[in-house]
Amino acid sequence: MNEAVLKPDNEIILDEAPLPEAAVGTNRVPGNKAIWVGIFSEMSEFAMMFLIIFLAKVHNPEVFEVGPTQLNTLAGTINTLILLSSSFFVARAMIAIRQNRRQDCATWLWLAILAGCSYLLTKYWEFEWLAERGFEIETNVFFGAFYYTTFNHFLHVGWGSFAILWVLLRLKSGAYTPEEHDGLEAVATYWHMIDLAWIVIFPLLYVWR
Amino acid sequence: MTHSKLVNVLWIVLMLVTLVNAVVAESGSPGLLLTLIVAVVIGFKGRMVVDHFMELKSAHPLIRISMQVYFFVIPGMFLLFYLFPEQIAELTKLR
Repeated sequence: MNEAVLKPDNEIILDEAPLPEAAVGTNRVPGNKAIWVGIFSEMSEFAMMFLIIFLAKVHNPEVFEVGPTQLNTLAGTINTLILLSSSFFVARAMIAIRQNRRQDCATWLWLAILAGCSYLLTKYWEFEWLAERGFEIETNVFFGAFYYTTFNHFLHVGWGSFAILWVLLRLKSGAYTPEEHDGLEAVATYWHMIDLAWIVIFPLLYVWR
Repeated sequence: MTHSKLVNVLWIVLMLVTLVNAVVAESGSPGLLLTLIVAVVIGFKGRMVVDHFMELKSAHPLIRISMQVYFFVIPGMFLLFYLFPEQIAELTKLR
């Protein structure tokens, strides 16, 4: 049953990969409540970092004017593309499990892990590239904010990748079905949060002057 | 449009928007226009991921609204801090 289904107001519904019938349009909590405590905590933590960067910028306009031009925009762009793709892979994994296509789900999760590892390698190379040019955490307040925020995010991508590996192993052991896959959905939701944080970090540090 | 097709299209759109953002980063001159582009791109990408990748359209309103508001407030802060830097610096100065 792979036909498009449109509601009268043309709202897109998950026809190929239906959400649990009873949950659509109600008070569904994707994943579980615990993961949302974690997600809101992390989003608050990143919001505090963003606020600190905004404030540091208005107090130190000169270093924040030059700072983004000293970064490797190519590395930042590649990592943005990688993280967006990883979010896409995870979204496709969720669609696959709802259609009971376990092998496809596993493939999408492997791709997400590959994307996570690619991000970590690119970021490590970028840190080395900056260090070779003498830009370190003590260089100025811009690089202090840059290293603190991006290394914090780097750690999130690291343990997020391990979490995807964990749900992949659980999938292989038959733990998830089209009807019951809350654990997989919780990790998927957390991974999207990591992507959301980078959606702000990239323009905030690499683009905005 | 089916959900999987929507997700595919959205992925391509988000990748293209990111590339445009990168070009702006390399060639754009600092100013209000750059700030507006940054704010709009963050708001668009954030809300697309929240609604369609995270699938929060069918979630509890508190969860969905909180996540949506985040991607109105953060772009708003870019504009606020760009338009009133001296005033904010004065208000937040340690005395």
